[in-house]
This record gives sequence, structure tokens and C-alpha cells, in this order.
Amino acid sequence: MQDLTFKQSAPLTFGVELELQLVNTRDCDLTRGASDLLPLVERKPHPGEVKPEITESMIEICTSVHTRHREMLTELREIRDAVLAGADRLNVGVAGGGAHPFQHWSERQIFEGPRFKHLSDLYGYLAKQFTIFGQHVHIGCPSGDEALYLLHSMSRYVPHFIALSAASPYSQGVDTAFDSSRLNTVFAFPLSGRAPFVRRWEEFQAYFARMQGFGIVESMKDFYWDIRPKPEYGTIEIRVCDTPVTVERAAALAAYAQALARYLLVERPHPITEDVYHVYSYNRFQACRFGLEGEFADPHTQQKRGLREDILATLDALAVHARELDAEEGLGEISECVRDTGNDARWMREIYAKSHSLPELVWRQADRWRGEGK
Amino acid sequence: MSELFFLPDWPIRADQVPWYAVLLLAALLAGEAAWRLRLPRVLGWILAGIALGPSGFDILDRAAVRGLRGVLEIAVGMILFELGQRVDMRWLRRNPWLLATSVLESGLAFAAIFGVLLLVGAKPLLAATAAAIGIATGPAVVLTLVKQLRSQGQVSERMLALTSLNNIYAFVLWSVLFAWLNAEYRGGWIAVAAHPLYLIFGSLALAALLAAVTLALLTALGRHTDVQFVCLVALVVLAVSTASLLKLSVVLTLLGYGTLTRVFDRARRFVSLDFGRTGQILVMLLFGITAASLDLRLLPAGAAAAGALIAARYAGKALGIFAFAHPSGLSLRKASLLSLGLMPMSGVALILARETSASYPELGPALVTVVLSAIAMLELLGPLLAHFAIVRAGEAAEEI
Repeated sequence: MQDLTFKQSAPLTFGVELELQLVNTRDCDLTRGASDLLPLVERKPHPGEVKPEITESMIEICTSVHTRHREMLTELREIRDAVLAGADRLNVGVAGGGAHPFQHWSERQIFEGPRFKHLSDLYGYLAKQFTIFGQHVHIGCPSGDEALYLLHSMSRYVPHFIALSAASPYSQGVDTAFDSSRLNTVFAFPLSGRAPFVRRWEEFQAYFARMQGFGIVESMKDFYWDIRPKPEYGTIEIRVCDTPVTVERAAALAAYAQALARYLLVERPHPITEDVYHVYSYNRFQACRFGLEGEFADPHTQQKRGLREDILATLDALAVHARELDAEEGLGEISECVRDTGNDARWMREIYAKSHSLPELVWRQADRWRGEGK
Repeated sequence: MSELFFLPDWPIRADQVPWYAVLLLAALLAGEAAWRLRLPRVLGWILAGIALGPSGFDILDRAAVRGLRGVLEIAVGMILFELGQRVDMRWLRRNPWLLATSVLESGLAFAAIFGVLLLVGAKPLLAATAAAIGIATGPAVVLTLVKQLRSQGQVSERMLALTSLNNIYAFVLWSVLFAWLNAEYRGGWIAVAAHPLYLIFGSLALAALLAAVTLALLTALGRHTDVQFVCLVALVVLAVSTASLLKLSVVLTLLGYGTLTRVFDRARRFVSLDFGRTGQILVMLLFGITAASLDLRLLPAGAAAAGALIAARYAGKALGIFAFAHPSGLSLRKASLLSLGLMPMSGVALILARETSASYPELGPALVTVVLSAIAMLELLGPLLAHFAIVRAGEAAEEI
């Protein structure tokens, strides 16, 4: 039985996990390489952690806990370089992006290990289709109650994270028309969606105990919510982001989450009510489907506007907090993405329009992950 | 004219039967049977060839088999081209230890085989020529196994890379030694230098030309798998026949052609290549017919020495791989499997060995017996070991 005591952590500290794709250098399809790569990466000391994931074609990198965007970015680059050094020796490509554009899920092999075997037995083909790659951002919270407050008030902004990070327009060889097709895959799981609307940590513990009593879940890991409390770290974990194509974008998204958390915790701009969840699925769909061009129904003002407009307004509100957190550089990247360059899904569609080749797109993703190419 | 003119002639003449279809069917059945026994299909194809060939029921019509030689050369060409194209030479730049591994495993295998052959009483130059042949791992076996098992991982990838390289070394070394042998027995020292140079540089020049032409054509055709496939089949056939016409090496030309196509393709015009079902048929026939041409009657006489030769070759390759396993980023477990994976000997070896022994009857029956016995034994043992290596490494995609 999992101990659900909420471990205190310093508020507004943050950490990032990124799931990465391993591809071959021949035709850029996903390749099995995690169990060859990980021991090689571990031979040399490096910051953060590099871990196996559910399939052999995926690894996860995790940063340590940070307070500043710049340090986060530096560490992400160091971990990236450590992984690349190993991957280069094994002739394996590493790429960001929320999904592999043309892999066939039936080809995937589940990584050896009891938890992964259990998932594979339970979810069947869903487990193999789960070869999708996300970014998780952890935000430190002083208590369980504060964590739940932050979780529910952050829910209004879930579409922001989806649209800004969206990097999975292609799946199984076709343009899905979605900017983030990855989240549709997550939706297929019975315990996905949002956390229950409870405000106090004791209530949450009671809810969890009930679910456990049914035998529906064993641990918090069985919930695939968009935002999930992580009591053993003392954080909430935002899980809706696709893994971006570059570490710079990943660090910027984390900085945006951190500044947003400060804004919500310090200014407490909206009372939290269940109203936010009435429009939740609609907004989420708009962000997945249309990215920054999506519509946004504001649960607080009850007005509809463009998602881009809503993010720009939020960036204005965050400016003072970004200054306090030294996160202006990160938010600058977000602002540029919204105003000018667009999300990674747009970049991917541009590359495909020019090359008519999905393998070529993966090559370009691998180049950009390395910090080269445009 | 007989009243029964509508009935066929009886008995049917051997040359009227499409033996290649019979062989194909036998290979298919034996291959599937092997598969059910968790053995490689390749082994079934080989056994079918042996069974139908002179060592077995001897029902393959020799003339018909000879008629297929052109087709089989194309099959060899396809395999070599695909292997060359598949191996990313930039990997060697990123991981120079891999290049070091390949040089060492080939060098040590050469030395080990050379030593054994000297012990059985071969003359040094002859022993060296035979040892050069022994360096090469069978490209057809390795590539076919990796494709059939859809395997991915370091054992599979390095098997392909090292095979590609050791075939190049083997051929270059063999052509130098063969020319030397020529000079020793026939005189004519000009040929010693000129012939290998012609073979090596001529083949590479042809390969470079073909690669450049291929990429120009692919650029014009665009990235369409089906279109590129037809284009490449035509080009590979042209490459094989041009190499033969110019008396260049088919092995070096086609391996070089595949490799250089990959190296020159900076804009990645080439989408992935697979000769598919058509290629599969040719490869099955290739295995069957190569096996049919093995002379198993030599085995009783040569088995002991051939066993020693195989063991020495294995030791050489394994030592080379283990020496640089750690710096090249390979676990010791995978290194031991990779050493087994390089055991298959190639059909090309058979051709080279025959060519050498046909030109030099003075080689003496002892050496021929040992070498051909070793080739025959590895024909069966090689695929088994390589299959075992891939499966044990956990790199096969198919449920075994």
C-alpha cells in the first residue's frame, strides 16, 4: 500500500522529465536500443537521471530540482549531451517530438521489467500504442492542500501547455490534423483525464483509499491524469506537454509553468470552483486539434477568445513573476513561439511540406535535438 | 503420328522440369519446418539444397543449375548492395573503436587460420591465400537472419557492419595474395602489382560512378519507395554485369556501390531499401544452390583439421571483438554473442576457394579438403550460431 503522506518541498522549485525517441540512422524508424544505451550512458558521471521507459525505443531523462530557468536549461543540455555521446557510439539517433510520425505500434517491444510487463498484460495493444513521448513538469508545493489548490487553478491553463508544446501532428504515417495527436492516445486509458475535485489533502487520501479498496489502482502511477499530485516528491506534475523538439523549448515550458505557479499562489487571481471543469474537455480538444489557433472558453469570465490571445494576456500577467524568478529568457521563448515562430507541430508540417518525407522529418528532429539545424 | 499424340512424352526429360521451382518449393517447406523447430529458416533452405544436390538425392539438373548462374549473381549483387547500403560508415567516425575492432578481428582470424593451415602442412603462400578467404563472414546469412528476425540492437548492427568490413578486407587481401601466387607459379611479376590494383581501384571507381548515377536518378524520381525499388533492381543488375564484363570484383563493386550510395547521399534522397519478396525468392535459390554445390564427401577426411580451423577462426574473431568491447561501448555478454554472430562463412568464400584450387591444382588435395570441409561445416553451423546470437541478445522482434 502506497504511503500518501505529502512530503513538503520548497515552493516553486521545479524539475523536468522528458521521454525521448530512439531511432535508427538508416530509415529513422524507432529502434530498440534502450538496454544497450543506458549502461553506456551510466559509465560516465552526468547530472540528472537517464531511465528506461515502457518500450525499448524510449528513454526518459530527468533533471534535478531547480529554482532558476537558466540552471535548468544548462542541466538539460548536459544530460542531452551525455545521452548523445552514448547514442553516437551505438549508432542510435535520439529525437524529441510527441510521437514517432510513422512507426507501427505492433513492432514495439516492451522493456523487460515487472511493472512494464504488468502494463502490457493489462492494456494489450494500448500499451504498445503508448509509444508516445511527453514532457512532465514538476512544481514544488509546501503542502498537500496547496498542491490541490495549484492543481485545480492550473487546470484552466492546461490548453496553454498543450498548444505550446504540441509536437505530434503525424502518427502512423499520416497527418492526424491534430497538433497534438499524442493526447488522444492517452485518452484511451480508463484512468486518464483530470483529478477529482477535492481541495483538502485528507479528502484526496480518502478518495485514493477508496479507489485502492476497489482494487482499481495500486499506486498514484496508475492515474494518467493531466495534472497529478506526486506526494512523495511534494509536487504537482503537469503531464500534458508533448516532448518538444529542442531542450530550449522544454526548459521554456518549465519556466512558464513555474511563473504561472507563482502567479497563482501569490495573486490567487481566481477562486477555485468546479466550474473550470465544465469547459475543460472542450478547451483541451481545441488545443490538441488546432494548437495556438484554437478557441478558448474562459471559465471565469465566461467569454470565448482565441487561445493565442489568452496566452499573450497570461504572459503579461506573468511578467512581474518572471522577473522575480529570473525566468524572463524562458518566457521570452514562449512569447516568440506564440507571436511568431509557432509550435513544433507547425515546424514539423513545414518540413514535411518541403520534403514529402517523414523519415526526413525525423532526421531533422534528431538534428535539432542535438542543437543543430533549423 | 501416334493415335495418342495428345499425351505427353514419357518419361519426362530432366531438362523439361523447372528444377528451380522444385528447389524453391523444397526450400520453402524445409524452411518453414525449421522455423517451427525454432531454427533459422536459412538452415532449412540449405538442407533442402543439400538433399536435392549431388550429396543427397542428386536430382538437381546440373545444366539447369548452371543456367541459373546469372540470376544467382544478381542475388549476390542485391545482398551485397543492400548490406553496403545498410551499414552507416559515419558510425566508424563516431566510434573509431569499431573500426579498430574490425581490423583486429579480421587480422587475428587471418593469423589463426594461417597458423592452422601451416600446421596441416600447407605452403605459406597457399595457406595465406586460404586464410584471407576465411576472414569474410557470410553476408547473405547475416543479412537474411537480421531481416527475418527483424532484429535490432548492437549485436545485429555490429554483425552487419563488421561483416561488410571483413568482406572488403578479405577480398582485397585475397586479390593481392592470389596475384602473388600467380607470379610465384606462373611468373610475370608485373601482374602482381597491376592485377590487385586494377581489381581494387577499378571496382571502387565503378562503384563510385554507379553511386553517383543512382543518386542523380533518385533525385529525379523523388522519394517514392516503389519507383526507387524498380530503379535499384535495374541498376544492381547493371552493376553486376558491368563488373563481370570488366573482370572486376562483383563483391567489392557491389559492397562499395551500396556503401558509397549511402555516403554520397547527403540530402537523403534514398528511402529505405528492401528487395522484398522478389529478392527473397532469389536468396532462397541462392542458399539452396550454393548448398547443393557443397561436396560433403570430403567431410570425413577433412573434419578434424576443419574443426581446428573453425575453432581458430572463432578464437581470432572473438579475441578481436573482446579486446575493444569496452571502449567501443559493447557489454561483454553482447561481445560474446557478436563473436558467434560472425561465424557464418560466405558462399563467396566457396567461389574464391574454388577459383584458387582450380587455378592451382598444385595446392594439393590436403589443403583443398580442409578448406572445403570447413566451408561445408560452417554452412550448417554458421546460421545456427548467428541465429542463436541474435535471439539470445534479445534483439529479435519475432516471438521465438
